[in-house]
Amino acid sequence: MSSATTNGVALRDPARRREAFAGFWLITPALVVMVSMLALPMVALVVLSFWTQDGFTLDTTFTLDNYRRLFATSERGVAWMGMTFYLEYPVPAILMIKSLVMSLTATVAVVLMAYPMAYFLAFRVKRNKAVWIILLTIPFWTSYLLRVFSWKVVLGFNGAINSGLISLGIIDKPLEFLLYNPAAVMITLSHAWVTFVVLPIYVSLEKIDRSMLEAAADLGDSRWRRFRRITLPLSMPGTIAAALMVFIPTVGDYVTPQLVGGTGGTMIGSLVQQLFTKQNDAPMGAAVSLVMMLVIALLVLLFLTLVGYWKMRARRQG
Amino acid sequence: MNRLKFIDRMSQGRVSRREMMKAAAAFGVSATLLPRAGRAAEMLTCLEWGGYDDPAYFPAFMAKHGVQPNFSVFSGEEEALAKVLAGFAADIMHPCNYSVARFVTAGLTKPIDTARLSHWNDVFPVLKDAEGVVVNGDVVMAPADWGNASVAYRPDLVEKDFLDAPTWGILYDERYKGRVSTLDDALVIQIGLMVEGKSYDEVYNLHGDELRAAAETWGRKGLETARFLWTDATELQQAMASGEIVAAYAWNDVIGNLKEQGIPVAYAVPKEGFFTWFCGLSILNSGKADEAAAYDFVDAWLSPETGKLLIEGSGYGHANTKSFEIADAEAVAAMGLDDPIAMMANSTVFRTPDNAVQEDQNKVWEDLKATHF
Repeated sequence: MSSATTNGVALRDPARRREAFAGFWLITPALVVMVSMLALPMVALVVLSFWTQDGFTLDTTFTLDNYRRLFATSERGVAWMGMTFYLEYPVPAILMIKSLVMSLTATVAVVLMAYPMAYFLAFRVKRNKAVWIILLTIPFWTSYLLRVFSWKVVLGFNGAINSGLISLGIIDKPLEFLLYNPAAVMITLSHAWVTFVVLPIYVSLEKIDRSMLEAAADLGDSRWRRFRRITLPLSMPGTIAAALMVFIPTVGDYVTPQLVGGTGGTMIGSLVQQLFTKQNDAPMGAAVSLVMMLVIALLVLLFLTLVGYWKMRARRQG
Repeated sequence: MNRLKFIDRMSQGRVSRREMMKAAAAFGVSATLLPRAGRAAEMLTCLEWGGYDDPAYFPAFMAKHGVQPNFSVFSGEEEALAKVLAGFAADIMHPCNYSVARFVTAGLTKPIDTARLSHWNDVFPVLKDAEGVVVNGDVVMAPADWGNASVAYRPDLVEKDFLDAPTWGILYDERYKGRVSTLDDALVIQIGLMVEGKSYDEVYNLHGDELRAAAETWGRKGLETARFLWTDATELQQAMASGEIVAAYAWNDVIGNLKEQGIPVAYAVPKEGFFTWFCGLSILNSGKADEAAAYDFVDAWLSPETGKLLIEGSGYGHANTKSFEIADAEAVAAMGLDDPIAMMANSTVFRTPDNAVQEDQNKVWEDLKATHF
């Protein structure tokens, strides 16, 4: 309340008011885009999830049926990967867990791969940094689809890896476990997102005050201790942001599993897509995607709390 | 259609823009990427199978209109149906005898006035009133192309017992795990039951608990054995050419295209029987283009020249009797498709399950795939 009053007082001053309006106009384009492209579709999705569909017709009476079906328990359990799901409609739950595991693995792999790259860029490269950064982004000048396809070429039956190994005489039959399975999805996702991770980590490493490292060296810290006590904690915010940037979108990905996942690589995004299209159950699709969004949001909050992100932020600002 | 080594050529930069677009179209991105020609009148929009989006299939339309329609490529009718229901304004759809009823039930088709089709009189009479062409007394699909679905296999790579007695069972056989492929469709469940000894007529309308039980046995078995489920015939052709896949559910074109590449491949006559489908063009009421253009397009597809191309290029049959007169006699003999009446008598013609059953089958199949790891 008090801030609103101060704002009111401030707005009575014509010069201030002009400034406030200028600010408002500046954000208008972004606001229009956000409202029309994000907020409104979200509202539509929420509304849709409370409807039902029978065949080709939408029934627009309000009902919680879709959510009830998602959480309804059943006496008969469905076993999957050593877990038993006592649910009437266990498919979304199973795919949710599978997708979370797959993108979590991909995220960890990406971060482990990207951190040394960012470290090298921030601490070892002295000249032409811009060139290095551009080189890093070159794969992103082609479309995502082509990048997925090039992985098919690399991992394929007569692809780069197999023909290489065969011509070296290491194997005599192509390895079949490379493509069309969840591992192929994870490999492809890891590569596809690596730049999105290198850049934020690089920025947070670049910002580290070098005099701290010098001071630590002067006081007798070893390389490893310097990394563990200064570099790593100070680059944590960037690393966490980068990890989330990979984790959140990959959970819902469906193009990659479709192309390299084979019969067993389906993820929850594929289910949502199927519900909206072939299965003719858009309201259920809406409900599944909303629940998926909530689950991801909760997991992210849990993760941030566990790594002490809020404390970290407070410390940095204080 | 020499698209076999597409990826190889792509990696060497030997792919033209047009070919690239065609490949992109297989993923449904063409509509957004193709440059739009000037829109004096609203352009005709066609939902088409991958590969049929080639002006060679509708020369008469090209001669009259000079510019090809917008294409949106689909890999299965249910996908196309969902797209139209979601608001995609298409004028023409290319469904098949077993799937056109879905579009009629959804209220999307317009009855076709056959008097406006100059080639209608030359269409095989058996096709003119076949189930799927006429629904509730209206012609809703002008039959155009027809062909088979059977097991395509590499004679050099399969075991002898299959060569001696070909069977659909190869797609569920442990010994071929990771070396066969099948269409991404609930048919996997039905064909499994046919391997067990049931007839197609007993299983095409399968639903409810029986369907679920069959999905758990045959559906799962099919998924476990398959290397991947194909949605795009090019992907299958590449895999068969490299030997990654030794047997697969396939249409006639796969055989023709692979033979052209000099790859040993054969089309089985499985002991459970093989399938016949026929497809055609439907005019949808969701379109915005001039109806006359839609009729021009349908008529162009029925021309004998199109038939000749289908027969010689893909090994498919055509609805126009004259196509077989002008096509290369050897090609006609090679496909053994010259007589649709005999063909339909000897093989299993795909049938239309009830609407609710189709949806049940879609759902069971998608759920089964989702929980397969």
